[in-house]
Amino acid sequence: MPDNWAYVFAAYGIAAVALFGYWRHLARRARALTQPRPAPKARPA
Amino acid sequence: MTRALGWLAALGLLVGLAAGFLYAPREAVQGNVQRIMYLHVPSVLTAYLAFGLVLLGSIAYLATRRPGWDRLAGSAGEIGVLFTGLTIVSGSIWGKPTWGTWWTWDARLTSTAVLFLVYVGYLMLRSLIEDPDARARYAAVVGILGAVNIPIVHFSVKWWRALHQPSTILGPEPSPLAFPLKLALYVNIVAFVLLFSYLLSRRVEIARTEEETV
Repeated sequence: MPDNWAYVFAAYGIAAVALFGYWRHLARRARALTQPRPAPKARPA
Repeated sequence: MTRALGWLAALGLLVGLAAGFLYAPREAVQGNVQRIMYLHVPSVLTAYLAFGLVLLGSIAYLATRRPGWDRLAGSAGEIGVLFTGLTIVSGSIWGKPTWGTWWTWDARLTSTAVLFLVYVGYLMLRSLIEDPDARARYAAVVGILGAVNIPIVHFSVKWWRALHQPSTILGPEPSPLAFPLKLALYVNIVAFVLLFSYLLSRRVEIARTEEETV
């Protein structure tokens, strides 16, 4: 049977992108939570 | 603790890649495409672990009403969906050169797709309900009912005539794998469990911070 390396690299490549993407998503979410929120604008009198 | 777990998971994945690509020999029948197993099998076992934790968190929440259990269940459900998606995609890519098709309505593939959709539904339900108590209660019921599908997925290859091969490990019969392939597989399973533990720890922490800031 031929080796089909393209399929192997496709599977591992997609997995790497998905896992790295989820990790970045979590990192962004955590960073957004730790940043101080901007104070609400005061209403004009 | 979480940081150390992250580095350990990264190291585990590197060792796993080395085990799968450098240590494990080329499989005699399928050739090198069989190396997808070191991604596919750990992914599905990690998904089982994640959905098992959804079940545990859901039962414990209904019994105690402590929000920590709901956070565990919701976080594990999200990561379980990710690993189930990886299982389906890697299996489909493996299926094309070995079975000649990307997808077939075989019992194992169909039950895995149902498992994926059930937990996508679980996450959608969580995102649709705003009241935290009602969300946790309804999600717990779905989390418990959804777990019924886990043994169906695992034993589908025994219960029905399936194109998918029998379980490589965790089956009733001894594993048919040769030692180097088995060792590479176990190394990758450990690496995936470490990665899951790290992602779960971060996700639970985020959920806790979100609840405190609301």
